[in-house]
Amino acid sequence: MEVKYVPSVCSYCGTGCGVLFEVIDGKITGTLPLKTHPVNEGRLCIKGWNLHEYVNSFMRLKGPLIKTGGRLRRVSWDQAIQVTAERFSETIARCGPDSIGVLVSAKMTNEENYIAQKFARAVIGTNNVDHCARL
Amino acid sequence: MKAEVKTWLQEGRFDIFLGYRMMAGHALPHVFVKDRLQEVDELISADARYPLEKFAARIAAAQPGIKIGMLARDCNKRALNVLSIWNQLEPGTVETVDVNCCPSNLKDGAECSYLKAPKTGFHKKQVGIDNQSDPEDFESNDQQGRFTRWMNEFQRCIKCYGCRNICPVCFCQECSLEHPELIKTGDLPPEVPIFHLVRAVHMAGRCIDCGLCEEACPADIPLRLLYRKVNQIVCDIFDYRPGSSLEQSPFSILGETPPEPEPLKAAGSGGRE
Repeated sequence: MEVKYVPSVCSYCGTGCGVLFEVIDGKITGTLPLKTHPVNEGRLCIKGWNLHEYVNSFMRLKGPLIKTGGRLRRVSWDQAIQVTAERFSETIARCGPDSIGVLVSAKMTNEENYIAQKFARAVIGTNNVDHCARL
Repeated sequence: MKAEVKTWLQEGRFDIFLGYRMMAGHALPHVFVKDRLQEVDELISADARYPLEKFAARIAAAQPGIKIGMLARDCNKRALNVLSIWNQLEPGTVETVDVNCCPSNLKDGAECSYLKAPKTGFHKKQVGIDNQSDPEDFESNDQQGRFTRWMNEFQRCIKCYGCRNICPVCFCQECSLEHPELIKTGDLPPEVPIFHLVRAVHMAGRCIDCGLCEEACPADIPLRLLYRKVNQIVCDIFDYRPGSSLEQSPFSILGETPPEPEPLKAAGSGGRE
């Protein structure tokens, strides 16, 4: 039985608290705060304390899904991107670009947030970009 | 000490040794094994305290029969006693290697995170309860004033369950604090003061005064002080100090006549008479 304690950073919000994972046989089984981390100094919020449950949850998305006939069906990335692009074009043609809004989040990196707002402004052509923290 | 640990691992006295090691700039708990003996050269005893005995109990639950060696401060040793009493660890599973902990003129050096003055916020320093004070400081008769001060502290709770998660002697699979019929869900702060009083009552006869709960509380609530008061009452009535020995806790005796509690003395107990 292989037991390791692996330091990491919580991915949940933009704060980035240091966490310590208890890894038994390659599986994350417990989460603790990193006592010497400068951001959180040994303290975590309830989301950080339960990272091991999120990581191993059966509800995690593993691939793109498309809803057909009321049910979610697993599809390939190409298919998913194609369907999304078609639906966006159709919506923009019918209702104008301002009918689409883009929500970014602290869980993504700054670079991903930049791409999202660039996509909204340059590609879709709308100013409707906002952040989950403002909701 | 490192040479001894290496010898013990090689001889098979322990299957694993729990200590600390510097990794990525932090002192982290680490499992030292015979297959990677050279890592023992990096064994340190850091002043950042993790509940190693809790890790040991979880490892022993996942692999029964394993022999664990562990760096232990006084608080770790008390926690091991309590875990053994409450059947979370087979006695003899864990063997301890003592570490300098609390300061004394007779010891060289002391390593404990509790010795560093905590960084307290400005507002708390002005109006809050001093986390480092003693239960005796609260003996005044101004009950309403005392209650208000405590409620002010409890109201900062964000219900992170950090106190319970990091506590070395908290092991219940079904925690009362998560029971929807006892503690209403969905509220922040959680129902005060009942949330903290439930925890305090559960810590009676179990809390070993390690202070990890207070270190883990993001709201600086004086938890250690609260549990010290509860255990002072336990000590007065049952003459029992958790962790001091392998003696059964007075709260674990089912079906037999419990030891006769002495009546609370009128003065100095802080309770109603």
